[in-house]
Amino acid sequence: MSTNRNNISRRDFVKGAATGLVAGTFASMGMYSYSPWAYSRLPKTQRNQQDFGTCRSVRVTNISETSWFNNAHLIGDIHEAGGLLVNQYTLNWAPLANGKGSGKGSYEEGISTIKDLLPHDLEKAWEIQKKLSLHPENPGGYSCLLEVEALDGTVRKFLLDTGWSYEWMDSCFKREGIDQMLRDQEIEALFISHEHWDHFWGLPVTMKYDNRIPLYVHDGFYKEGLQYIKDSGYKGEPVIVNKPVTQIAPGMALLKFDVPIINRVFGETSLAFNIKDKGLVLVSGCNHQGILQFADFAFTNLKYDNDKFYGIYGGLHISPFEDWDPKYDDLVIALGQWGFELIGCNHCTGHLTAKKFVEAGYPVVRGTARFRSASEDYLGNGDKITFG
Amino acid sequence: MDNSSVSYLESRKLVKRWNGPIPALVNTFLILAFFYATWWIFQDPRGLMRMYTPYVGYMVCRWLLILFIWLAYIFDFWPFKRSWLNKTHPLIKGAVLTLVSVAAMIILMKGFFVEILGNFGIAYFNPDRLMAMGITEFYAIEYAAEAIMMFAAIASWLSPSWVVACENAPWQKLGQPARGITIVLVTFFLSMIVYFVTMHSHMAILFYPWQKFTAICPPYWEEFANTVSGNFHIAWIMCCTVVVWLYETIWERYPFNLIKHDGLRRVTSFFGIIAIAVALCFFLFYAQDLVWGSTIRGTRRLMAPDWRWLHVGEMAIFWLVPTLFLNFYCNNWPNKFSRPVNVCIRTLLTAALAVVVYVIYYKTSHLFLGTQKGFSHPQQFPMIPMIWLINIFLINVWFMDGWPGWKAVQKTEAELENHQNEVVASDVKWTQGIAKGLGIGLVAGALLYFAIIKALPWVGANITIIK
Repeated sequence: MSTNRNNISRRDFVKGAATGLVAGTFASMGMYSYSPWAYSRLPKTQRNQQDFGTCRSVRVTNISETSWFNNAHLIGDIHEAGGLLVNQYTLNWAPLANGKGSGKGSYEEGISTIKDLLPHDLEKAWEIQKKLSLHPENPGGYSCLLEVEALDGTVRKFLLDTGWSYEWMDSCFKREGIDQMLRDQEIEALFISHEHWDHFWGLPVTMKYDNRIPLYVHDGFYKEGLQYIKDSGYKGEPVIVNKPVTQIAPGMALLKFDVPIINRVFGETSLAFNIKDKGLVLVSGCNHQGILQFADFAFTNLKYDNDKFYGIYGGLHISPFEDWDPKYDDLVIALGQWGFELIGCNHCTGHLTAKKFVEAGYPVVRGTARFRSASEDYLGNGDKITFG
Repeated sequence: MDNSSVSYLESRKLVKRWNGPIPALVNTFLILAFFYATWWIFQDPRGLMRMYTPYVGYMVCRWLLILFIWLAYIFDFWPFKRSWLNKTHPLIKGAVLTLVSVAAMIILMKGFFVEILGNFGIAYFNPDRLMAMGITEFYAIEYAAEAIMMFAAIASWLSPSWVVACENAPWQKLGQPARGITIVLVTFFLSMIVYFVTMHSHMAILFYPWQKFTAICPPYWEEFANTVSGNFHIAWIMCCTVVVWLYETIWERYPFNLIKHDGLRRVTSFFGIIAIAVALCFFLFYAQDLVWGSTIRGTRRLMAPDWRWLHVGEMAIFWLVPTLFLNFYCNNWPNKFSRPVNVCIRTLLTAALAVVVYVIYYKTSHLFLGTQKGFSHPQQFPMIPMIWLINIFLINVWFMDGWPGWKAVQKTEAELENHQNEVVASDVKWTQGIAKGLGIGLVAGALLYFAIIKALPWVGANITIIK
């Protein structure tokens, strides 16, 4: 009898313990997880500030921020192809179209129509592709020239991105004198921010003038992208960026971010500059990693003067198609706390975002809206900004 | 008591056609094949209809889930006769019931939301209206689909809750279709209230300038959630959706079914599910902070609070897949211990399996589902394939009686009595042993929680899921 009682008691104990285990775990989750005590457990950010030197100034010339001329056509083509995750090389856009229609392209078929013409006869190549592609008048491109002044006054030139349309980018290069700089090998390197059409597919235009320029690409590039570098006529060996921070020159570093991006692109590289006595300047192509993530990474990993964020330039990728989401307001609300003194934005930042920045009282540098740039809220095509 | 006095799902018993694990293996294989084929036809960005982006595919699979719940749980298969359900071949039943659900879904989405609500009430439910006001077609579709889909997310918590937690009260004695219509209208009405309180402000912020005269902008949750995004609500609502099924399946409505008083049991179950869901929601958010570091408001993706809240819902849905699989295809294993021990083992087991599904998904989905590599792509929505898979589970088990691995037979009177007795379980009684065990279990549960949160930063620093 007594054994029986003990057995029952033991069974009851196990029942209670099993119930308590689950209940206790959930109760702890609810009472502790979102409490101040839980967050006091998180370690404080450890700053491991890499010294990448100092420069006197950096001047940015916007060669082209107009990556495409019509949002509805661009996003309509993507929609027709099957949405934002469709591989960009199948979209059937120039210069890699095969004429089979939306979402039915292929890199191999597209490039085969123009490969023999790259990079020496871009006019003919683009004419051929215009006949095969969707909305051939829509491509533009993003590209900017960076002139970095060292502390001794010497100026070094770099190119960030190489645009999209051969026709448009060649005219933009000529307008800003980039063609001659490349011919004279005055430009030390070309950085491709990411593999997207509007930053990268204009590569033959740069190759036309300098096919040995040092070329930096993110290690997330797909095989089509790496093949396109060869097919564009590049005679050098591209530098595959695989480190979070790569120093390029005193006060200039290339930062790598591993982020998934629409149309099957992966990874973005951006630039940081340490301007003497001023602070940090961040320059991006599209900023798919997000400007605050960019800033936070720099805060944690770089050493810069005054420990101060001084300026931003580039596409900030917020409302590129004039779309909106409440989370973008989080950015507009939060950006002010980071204390940037100069904000030069364009391209995928979106007009609506620029408008909201201006309304929030942020130091946005306005542009001239020349050469088909649409808004004075932007630093448009041909506009310049100097940090330092 | 006879079979016609209970619902069809309660009246039948699913019996294996073959011994051992063969039925589960056969069904799993067929379900995965059907999943992949239909994924390719409807959702895959490389496939035929490519409904994955914008949100159209998401909206469809959420509303299909609701229609399945309505048809099977709330309408008890009305207007189909019990005799038809009993005699028809499962393949025909599956096809007919699925197509009826699809038709009803299209009428509801297109007829009610787009045409009626979108034309005569709230413009953002109708993409044509948004386009006419200058919004690009892609985003007009995306915004309208998001609003319609979010309504379904709320309903997919409230609809089953009314059956599972509230036991259809106070309309449980009404015949069909009066009971179904009543419960659908009530849960639809409640969903609308929850929608207005949780998502309408989110939608109002989508447009420039903020629609302050029609919604609360900035919304009340901003300070608490560290974002103005409605993703904060998606987090706890998705957790509610998952917990209601945990409670119904692997927990067998334990422990709230120990409460004998009908009203108290129903109210406690309903709000208990919410309380458990909120606890889970807070934990899953905190777990991400422990693994990836604190959020930064205004940044994007992995480090953004709005994405982390969304990911809470995504993580929760990963738990629902093994939970339903265990219940549907593994006979709710284990069954040989006492109910609390069975529940505890199933909870731990399915939580561990959820982690496995999560890891496998993020390691491989970009290869075979056509989604983007990475956790936090703005168009990476694991809820879509998970709910798509769950929908197929439901078609197979609810509409096809588990064919081909299982067949439905009528429960005996004794089995029906036994089932009825389960509404109030009597196998756990308050004793000193229980009290002692409960106290120690609670402490052990707290220790388990603290062990997990202690381990998570190490996991973040040492384990890479996506290379």
